[in-house]
Amino acid sequence: MNVTLNWLKNYIDFEFSADELADRLTMLGVEVESVKQLGVALEGIVVGKVNSISPHPNADKLVLCQVDIGEQDALQIVCGAPNVSERMSVPVATIGTELSSGITIKQAKLRGEESYGMLCSERELGISEDAAGLMELSSDTSVGTPLAEALGLDDTVFELEITPNRPDCLSLIGVAREIRAETGNELKLPEVNIRENDTDIREVTSVTIDAPDLCPRYAARVIRGVKIGESPAWLKQRLESVGIGVINNIVDVTNFVLMEYGQPLHAFDYHKLGENRIVVRRAAEGEQITTLDEEERELTSDMLVIADANKPVALAGVMGGYDSEITDETCDVLLESANFQPASIRATGKKLGMHTEASYRFERGVDPEAVIPALNRAAQLIVELAGGTVCEGIIDVYPGKSEPIQIQLRSDRVNFILGTALEATEIEQILYRLGFGMEASQLEDSSYQVTVPSFRSDITREIDLIEEVARVYGYDNIPTTLPKGDIPVPVSDISVEVRKHIKQFLLGAGMMESVNYSFSHPNCFDKVRLAADNPLRDALKLRNPLSPEMSILRTTLMPSLLDNAQHNHNHQINNIALFEMSTVFVKGEEPWRIAGILAGEIGGGVYGDPYKNPDFFDIKGIVERVLEVCCLTDYAFKKTEEPTFHPGRNAAVLLGDRRIGILGEVHPEVLEIYELPYKAYLFELDLEALANAADFSKRFEPIPIYPSVQRDLAIVVDKEMQSDTPIDIIYSTGGELVDSVRLFDVYVGDQVSEGKKSLAYTITYHSATETLTDKDVNNLHDKVVKRLNQELGAELRL
Amino acid sequence: MKAELEAIQATALEALKDVKTTDVLESLRIEYFGRRGKLTDVMKGMGQLSKEERPIIGKLANEVRASLTEAFEATKTALESQQQEQQLHAEAVDITLPGRKPAYGKAHPVMQTLERIEAIFTQMGFQVVTGPEVETEHYNFDALNTPSDHPARDLHDTFYLTDGHLLRTHTSPVQIRVMENQKPPVRIIVPGKAYRVDYDVSHTPMFHQVEGLLVDRHVTFSELKGVLVSFARQMFGDQTQMRFRPHFFPFTEPSAEADISCTVCRGKGCRSCGHTGWIEILGAGAVDPEVFRAVNYNPEEVTGFAFGMGVERIANLQFRIPDIRTFYENDLRFLQQF
Ligand SMILES: [Zn+2]
Repeated sequence: MNVTLNWLKNYIDFEFSADELADRLTMLGVEVESVKQLGVALEGIVVGKVNSISPHPNADKLVLCQVDIGEQDALQIVCGAPNVSERMSVPVATIGTELSSGITIKQAKLRGEESYGMLCSERELGISEDAAGLMELSSDTSVGTPLAEALGLDDTVFELEITPNRPDCLSLIGVAREIRAETGNELKLPEVNIRENDTDIREVTSVTIDAPDLCPRYAARVIRGVKIGESPAWLKQRLESVGIGVINNIVDVTNFVLMEYGQPLHAFDYHKLGENRIVVRRAAEGEQITTLDEEERELTSDMLVIADANKPVALAGVMGGYDSEITDETCDVLLESANFQPASIRATGKKLGMHTEASYRFERGVDPEAVIPALNRAAQLIVELAGGTVCEGIIDVYPGKSEPIQIQLRSDRVNFILGTALEATEIEQILYRLGFGMEASQLEDSSYQVTVPSFRSDITREIDLIEEVARVYGYDNIPTTLPKGDIPVPVSDISVEVRKHIKQFLLGAGMMESVNYSFSHPNCFDKVRLAADNPLRDALKLRNPLSPEMSILRTTLMPSLLDNAQHNHNHQINNIALFEMSTVFVKGEEPWRIAGILAGEIGGGVYGDPYKNPDFFDIKGIVERVLEVCCLTDYAFKKTEEPTFHPGRNAAVLLGDRRIGILGEVHPEVLEIYELPYKAYLFELDLEALANAADFSKRFEPIPIYPSVQRDLAIVVDKEMQSDTPIDIIYSTGGELVDSVRLFDVYVGDQVSEGKKSLAYTITYHSATETLTDKDVNNLHDKVVKRLNQELGAELRL
Repeated sequence: MKAELEAIQATALEALKDVKTTDVLESLRIEYFGRRGKLTDVMKGMGQLSKEERPIIGKLANEVRASLTEAFEATKTALESQQQEQQLHAEAVDITLPGRKPAYGKAHPVMQTLERIEAIFTQMGFQVVTGPEVETEHYNFDALNTPSDHPARDLHDTFYLTDGHLLRTHTSPVQIRVMENQKPPVRIIVPGKAYRVDYDVSHTPMFHQVEGLLVDRHVTFSELKGVLVSFARQMFGDQTQMRFRPHFFPFTEPSAEADISCTVCRGKGCRSCGHTGWIEILGAGAVDPEVFRAVNYNPEEVTGFAFGMGVERIANLQFRIPDIRTFYENDLRFLQQF
């Protein structure tokens, strides 16, 4: 909502500059979003009067004007406007003025004649597009007056953001009340004196409320013999300064009073109302009305309408009807000032997609006690501006009248909540200035019985009053202290630890962290070739997605990482090493997952550290390290049939018997779908499972004191044999004396026969209790070789 | 003989001067000290000397031998160090060739910011707690005192699932869940993802929030200010000013929005701060008594405060990314910048 500085000053005195006022209001909770000085473009332009005109000696289309701008000598100005005439009041751009077009006015010779300024058209002033002739000013404005002042544009507009709990601030008087709280100055409310005619309003109309639950109050006045016309300049200027369009004197008055009091009003053409009367009722299902915007609207039975004897004539609190609107022919007016239930207006507005100045206020709640002052104020202004007389009396149907709310306020509670040391009198003073009735409580010391004014429907509890005290006292004046209470005993969370450790490792391993939306496209499962019966396909769906790409909640992180790879590849970035750590949405739970992708080129890509293409063992190594980071050793890998992956290059990650994740080379068909021209490697692990198994309770193990002995062993086995099969046998044969087995070479080729391969291991023998002799080691090693031969048919390769 | 020895010494010393390599030095050594060497030959001739002469010449011979040995050693050392020097010289590398940089990944900029926020509050005794992102209307709205016809509940604002649940619009429901399960004192922060139907340069449909909650027997608004000022100084620098403006949230009262002095102009006013010198960073307030009642806390026995901030917004105060949707494209050229 917009208000202006000068307009506000009609309702309260204050000395603040525009910026000060903006700051004060903001710190009171009435946030000023912007401060705009009107008329800045008109600086240097003054009102002048053309005293005399003489022909230009050298040009037919130009004349020489002697223009009085209130200085000692009249200025000679050369002018070519067709409408220039003697005694005309016009805007004069003086020497040095910069027009909104960017032109600076200089003293100049025009076809040989001196010119000391410029007479301006509206377009030249940036006021309108009218360039037909000079802007003609009303002849009573005194010469020399700055044009901005003459046009009422020497004002400042504040754009306010009013929070939903403060509908009382949606008016000039409402904002003035806030200034009153700040300054203590009294309000200057408009004085209203209505001279009524002899006709009793009850003889000419009636109001019936059939839906008192939706319409707590409806008041009306009738004004006869008005003459519809243009509003005076001051009124137009006021409305335009706050961004309200000008229509005619009657409608402009209702809008003006709306801005003043925050009370929406509506003027009906009295003679267009069937039986000249008002019925406030729910619409019949399917009933129709054409609203002021000339839209035909179909109504439902939960909507409140203002009807005449036969049909709806307005959508209550939202918009008037087209058929009963004020036209140039209107002579008698029925003026409505009413109060409607917020939820009903909100529902109607929402259903019909209509948002108006009226509905904006009724949705939030309007003071029912503003109905009569606003009605009277409008009636008086109409008579002043459009003539006519006001019928005697007001029809005021008020089924929703309620007693003012009373709240008990303990002043020590104020200090307890705020951490302040306010005196009871300070509290009393603040609330008094806000319009609250204050009475010392009979029940308790330093307590008050507070009466809430009708415009503050948001205040119903003691805490609401405490907030009022706080904001007027000033949040900045409340002390700044640190909490005194005990710090609760922290609970450690292993899953947080696990995530932290893994992330640290992955970053150290050169992977970049990616964060993706939780949303996905339902086709993402097909894109990664998930089996038809894969439970991951069972994703939660959004009812109101932004787009199909964002219509389900992801159950796996792998499609997101493939999307990231695709995005980067499309932008010629091919060193893809990304991981994401996030929750996914499966079976009503939100377990954490960690996933990573390697694709394209890894390495520095420089001389001495060339790019290399990642392979299966890069991704496997990363996963192995992740498991080690969680202090897990009891893991294994097992081939799977997952269609996402290359059938021969993937593995399930097992922890004991439990499958906790998967890794592998992405299937070529998936790569094709994601338009990746190179291989990609993915892993995804269940972080919950890792956290459950992880054990960070580290314990010292003695450093070996006896030397260890290493023996290399190269064996020839069937090509299909997994490299860990011999390792199991080596361990089971050597028992505790085998410290470690490390595979250091795999060979397939001419040196071994077809269908075979050679595996070379380094075995480290070690005893914790003695130094192993060569003889001990040889015996053990021979045993190992023998068992490998017996059980696997392994031949020693010499 | 004496003359002979002296001549040998002189020629040997002269010859040494010209030696350039250890190989030449070795052959020269053999020439003098070898089995057929010049010096050896002279020594062999000692037997023919008279008894009187023998000790004198013997002494001289030893002196010559010792001095030559020393001269040979010195030459050897000199040659060796010269040679090493040459070798080192030959081994010089072009130090402008690229270093072999160990791989090094970077955390996502939003996560970096989130982690910093977490660290600051953890150090002030706040426990990090998380909760579900798929929520019920009860926890997301009702329990937080949001009216049933509040516009935030609209399909235009909140993502609903086909099963009737919704995606939490803030991390506040976790506060309710914690209070339902824990007696005061409560001192938690809740980091996590939240969702709203919004998609433009300054909004993403998924975003990150950190909310905080402190409930105890006597928690004041002044302590809310203290905690947040302390946070702001640690997050944005010691010089940071903070101001609190009255605002409205359904679940706090009194409510505030907090601004920090503009990080660009330091409060003088610039385009980033709309010429106000202030930048809004978070919402906060004393916990509304209705919220306490909803979790069976007695508002006469406990008080508290809550605050919430958008992580992307805070991250962007530093990074100044014109379109925050860039955060979630995961373009490596972008991620590498932080
Ligand atoms: Zn700034």
